[in-house]
Amino acid sequence: MAVDELPMILFTVISQMCVGAFVVLGLVQTVGGMKYSRRVVDRLADPALFALGPALVAGLIASMFHMNDVTHTFNVIRHWQSSWLSREIIFGVGFAGLGFLFAVLQVLKIGSEALRRVVAVATALFGVGLVVSQVMIYYSLVTVPAWSSWATWVQFFGTALLLGALAVGTAFVLVIARRQNRPASSQVEATNEGSYGQRLKDFFADRQVDDPQTGAQVAELMVGSVRACVVGAVLVAGALLVAMPVYVSGLAGSGEVGLLSVAHYGTGFAVVRFGLLALGALLLGVMAFYFAGFGTKKLRVLGFLMVGSFVLVFIGELMGRSLFYEAMVRVGV
Amino acid sequence: MYGFYFDQTLCNGCKACQIACKDKHDNPIGVNWRRVVEYTGGSWQVDGETARPNVFSYYTSMACNHCEDPICVTVCPTTAMTKREDGTVYVDQSKCVGCRYCEWACPYSAPQFNAQTGHMSKCDLCYDYRQTGQDPACVDACPARALDWGPIEELRAKYGDQNAFEPLPDPSITRPNLVIKPHRDAQPFGHGTGFIANRQEI
Repeated sequence: MAVDELPMILFTVISQMCVGAFVVLGLVQTVGGMKYSRRVVDRLADPALFALGPALVAGLIASMFHMNDVTHTFNVIRHWQSSWLSREIIFGVGFAGLGFLFAVLQVLKIGSEALRRVVAVATALFGVGLVVSQVMIYYSLVTVPAWSSWATWVQFFGTALLLGALAVGTAFVLVIARRQNRPASSQVEATNEGSYGQRLKDFFADRQVDDPQTGAQVAELMVGSVRACVVGAVLVAGALLVAMPVYVSGLAGSGEVGLLSVAHYGTGFAVVRFGLLALGALLLGVMAFYFAGFGTKKLRVLGFLMVGSFVLVFIGELMGRSLFYEAMVRVGV
Repeated sequence: MYGFYFDQTLCNGCKACQIACKDKHDNPIGVNWRRVVEYTGGSWQVDGETARPNVFSYYTSMACNHCEDPICVTVCPTTAMTKREDGTVYVDQSKCVGCRYCEWACPYSAPQFNAQTGHMSKCDLCYDYRQTGQDPACVDACPARALDWGPIEELRAKYGDQNAFEPLPDPSITRPNLVIKPHRDAQPFGHGTGFIANRQEI
C-alpha cells in the first residue's frame, strides 16, 4: 500500500466519486423529470445530494495533508497558467462551492427552477474540469510512462462513474428504506412552506409523508434509477477489468522502466483489488438488479446488496489508486 | 544561460562532487543535490567454441541541468520553482508548499524534498559562490577534473554538444544545459543494454 500517498489516494478517489455522483444525480433529475413530476424527482434525489457535501469536504481535507507546509497553501493557485495542479485546486474549490450553493438553493427551493438548473450545470462542468485536471496532472508527466498513458483517463473517469453510480443507487435505496421504517406517529404532512429554517429542519428530519400516488412514483423512480446505476457500474467495471490487463501488459513490454512500473500489479494486493471490483460491481450489482425488481417489497435485501456493492468497490478503488501511485517510476536518473 | 560539463572518460565514481555539494549546502541525510549514477551491462562475445564476457560500466555525475524547458517550473503550482535571469533554476522558499510535484516530474531527480523545512530544495549552481567569483563546490572538488561549468554556449564551443547517453533521459523533454564527453562504452540514448546498478544510492 502506498501509505505516503494516502492523502492523494483519498482525495482523488473521493472527489471523483462526488463528481460522478453529481453527474449521475443530474441524469436522474433530467431523465426522471421527463416522466415524473418535479416533486417526485426531488423527493428521491435531494437527500442524496446532501450526502455528497461531507464526502467532498473530507476529500479536500485529506488533500491538505499532501502539503508539507500548509502556511503556503494559498500559493497553490498562483501558477494556473501552466500547472495542472493549480487548475485542479481551482476546479475543486469551484465544484465544492457551487455544489454547496446548489444544494442550499435546491433544498430550500430558493430561486426559479431555471436558475437552479444553471447552477447545477455550472457545478457539473466544474466537476468534470476537476477530474480532467486530475488526469492531466499525471497524464502530462511524460517522464512517468505509467501515468502518461490512456489508462489514466480510463482509471480516473472509471472511478468517477463507477463510484458515482453506486453511491447514488445506494443512497436512493437507503432514503426509501429510512422512510419505510419510520414510526407513523412521527410523520407530518408534506409542505414546502414556512421559514427557511423550518424547511431545513423538515428536510433533515425527513418526516414528510407523500400521498399514495407520489409515494408509489418515488418508489418506481428509485427502482428504475437503481437498475440504471447498477447497469452503468457493471459496464464500467467490465471495461476496467478488460482495460487494465491490456495497460499493464503494454507497460511491461515497454522496457526497463515499464517493467519496474508494473511490479506491484503482480502481487496479491492487485488480485484482491480486482477481485473486490468483480465481486462488488459484477456479482452484487447483478443481484441488486434482480432484487430491485421487487420494488419496495425486498428493500432490506436490496439495501444490503447495494451497501455491500458500494463498500467493496470503494475499497477496491482505494487499493487501485494505491497501485496507480506505486507504478510511479520515472525515466532518467 | 549557465550549464555543466561532465567528462565520463575521467570520472571514477569517487563521489567527491556529491559530498562537496552536500557539505557546502549542509544538506540533511537523503538530500543529495548531486548524485553519481553507475550504469552497467554486458554480454557474451562468442568466438567459435569460446565465449568471453564483454562487460562495461561507467559513471555519470548528475545535478540540476538548469534546463531550457524546465519541467519542474512548468508543473510547480506555487511558482516557487523559479528561473533566474542567468537561466539557473532555484526554489523560492517563501512560496514552496512542499507538494513534491516537481520531484515526480524531473527526469534528473534534481528537486529534492527537505523534511526539515517542509520545502523542496535543489542545486542553484552555487549562486552565492558565483557572486564572489568562485566555482561551484562540485566542480572544484572533483579530483579528476571531470566537471566544468559556465555559459552553455562557451561549454558547447569548447567541448561539443553531446548529452544523449544512457541512462540519462531523452534530452528533448527538458533541453538540459549539459554537455557530456562520452565514455568509450557510453550507450546512446534509446539504445541502452545496461541498467542502473546503484538505484538505492541516487
